[in-house]
Amino acid sequence: MTLNKDHIGGLIFLTIAVVYGYFAHDIRMFPGDQFEPFNAQTLPIALAWAGGLISLVMLATAGRSAEPKPTLVNLDFMLVGKLMVLVWLFAQALSWIGFLAATILFLLVGYWLLGERRIRTLLLASIPFAVGFWLLLAKVLDIYLAPGKLWQLVLGA
Amino acid sequence: MWDGIFTGLTTAIAPFNILMVVVGCFCGTFIGMLPGLGPISAVALMIPITYGLDPSSGIILMAGVYYGAVFGGSTSSILINAPGCSSTVVTAFDGYPLAQQGQAGKALALAAYCSFTGGTIGALILLVAAPALASVSLSFQSSDYFALMVLGLTAVAAFSGKGQVLKALLMTIFGLMIATIGTDAISGIPRFTFGNIDLIDGISFLLLAMATFALAEVVMAVLKGEHKDEDVPMDMSSLGSMKLSKEEVKQVAPTAARSSLFGFLVGVLPGAGATIAAFLAYGIERNLSPRAIKEKFGKGALRGLAAPEAANNAASTGSFVPLLTLGIPGSGTTAIMLGALIAYGIQPGPRLFVDNPEVFWSVIISMYFGNIVLLILNLPLIPYISRLLIIPRPILIPLILFFSITGVYLVSFNSFDIELMVLITVAAIFLRLLAFPMAPMLLGFILGGMMETNLSRALIISDGSLAFLWQRPLTALIMSLAVLALMLPVLGRLLGFGRLNTESMAVADKGEG
Repeated sequence: MTLNKDHIGGLIFLTIAVVYGYFAHDIRMFPGDQFEPFNAQTLPIALAWAGGLISLVMLATAGRSAEPKPTLVNLDFMLVGKLMVLVWLFAQALSWIGFLAATILFLLVGYWLLGERRIRTLLLASIPFAVGFWLLLAKVLDIYLAPGKLWQLVLGA
Repeated sequence: MWDGIFTGLTTAIAPFNILMVVVGCFCGTFIGMLPGLGPISAVALMIPITYGLDPSSGIILMAGVYYGAVFGGSTSSILINAPGCSSTVVTAFDGYPLAQQGQAGKALALAAYCSFTGGTIGALILLVAAPALASVSLSFQSSDYFALMVLGLTAVAAFSGKGQVLKALLMTIFGLMIATIGTDAISGIPRFTFGNIDLIDGISFLLLAMATFALAEVVMAVLKGEHKDEDVPMDMSSLGSMKLSKEEVKQVAPTAARSSLFGFLVGVLPGAGATIAAFLAYGIERNLSPRAIKEKFGKGALRGLAAPEAANNAASTGSFVPLLTLGIPGSGTTAIMLGALIAYGIQPGPRLFVDNPEVFWSVIISMYFGNIVLLILNLPLIPYISRLLIIPRPILIPLILFFSITGVYLVSFNSFDIELMVLITVAAIFLRLLAFPMAPMLLGFILGGMMETNLSRALIISDGSLAFLWQRPLTALIMSLAVLALMLPVLGRLLGFGRLNTESMAVADKGEG
């Protein structure tokens, strides 16, 4: 039997429903809440059951589905992975080097990853944009943007 | 009602709010033009900006962006055969052939006039229908609300197309599951937080919307290697005349009027949205046309362009009816607006036009202004705005990524939100690859809190009995409609209606609208 998209989707959601249902029973309640018609566990448990049942129906009917076998050829997972890592690094950099420097680096690396190699374009499309956006936020809209722990450590400010 | 209209007019014509309409339409047009980015992404990208504005101005800006994005999508459909969003896919059927025949200017003008007609007729009906429906819904009780939300969620699944009903239902449940993360609003008990303090307030809808739409759309484009595609060259000097002859106007006027009315009605249905309205209006118009014109459909028929354009704009307006009167979003885009209104502390629903008449009426009136702005400002500027499409993808994609993540960061100033976005985006990409629609999840997430509150009230009032579902005739009627909506795809297939919708549903599954 070959797995099609519906089989995989059904299995994923069945797992989600089982795990969600397991933790739904772990939700703490106030004493006596279990005798109330509605408590903090009611909806999560109902959702876990509903999700599980629909997943099972999906798995049962997946064989008849017209959904093709998933193909992963010609998909650039490597580049997407790099971009996701870049976004994650941007999140870390924000608190260490501040918004302005993090933005410049994010844009520079982002353009580079997507194939832009001209130094002039890389710099012109990142530094003026980042500085302009930072000025708009910090000076025009008066939004406080923390300068970054690293500068505070180095400069002692 | 007239007092309300006057209040709305006063708010809508405030210079700042007019500026918001203009800015919204421009930004929306630009974002909507970018292939892959539709109204949902456009409105989601605007949310962080609206947090600094008062509710009326914020919602007016978002409504302008919505219209602009639908209009912008039409422009790229006509000029480069690359629909900016799913609701303008049909526009390309006859719009692009017209452009190839050297009549791009005429096609753009016709699209703008028909969008204007659709939007105007839609706004006028909304002006009358919304307060009437809101007055009726003032008598609604918790059980009715719960039933309405069930109807909204099942309707989304029902309209999701052949083979997609189970997937849409699963995604709706997934959205409801995500909505339970955080502190329970009724008991104050944390659920599914696993001791993480960042999850105590739950996951913000903005984060979810950005991660599953704006960010995921861009990442999907990168995944498929679309960033390497050669940009289609556009010769702006050969747009041709933007004038329509009297005969042409006579030919398309009834089409625009019919499609506007039809589009509005489809838009009102929860979950149907602009895409389905555009496809159905196109199909109906093709069937109604005389044989000579029917044969031109797909090769540059003016009616084939007028019908979807009028219908999708009227449907966009129609989708505001359930949002403003019942608090139930009619489409993915209005779901995002619902989230934004809730973030403002405004509860959309029957009390909106009593408690916040300035928001209710100014949104309706500014929709009309939005249409005027699109017609008199955007249309002449289209050749210039289109030049922005020349920005190379390797530059554009990191900028969209940056705006998406910064939009979320600037609301919470918590880098954990960006990390969570990465996780959700990765999950969204895998679900998209498995052909799971995203809009039902967002609707489930947004309606989850309200649904739980109303279910809890109804169950407590009925002492734990499920009889509340059929004791009140109104609740029973709405629940019956919900069951009917769920059965609709099965009935449709049995009765042979499936053929009509297959194509439109396939496109609508992309979730924009």
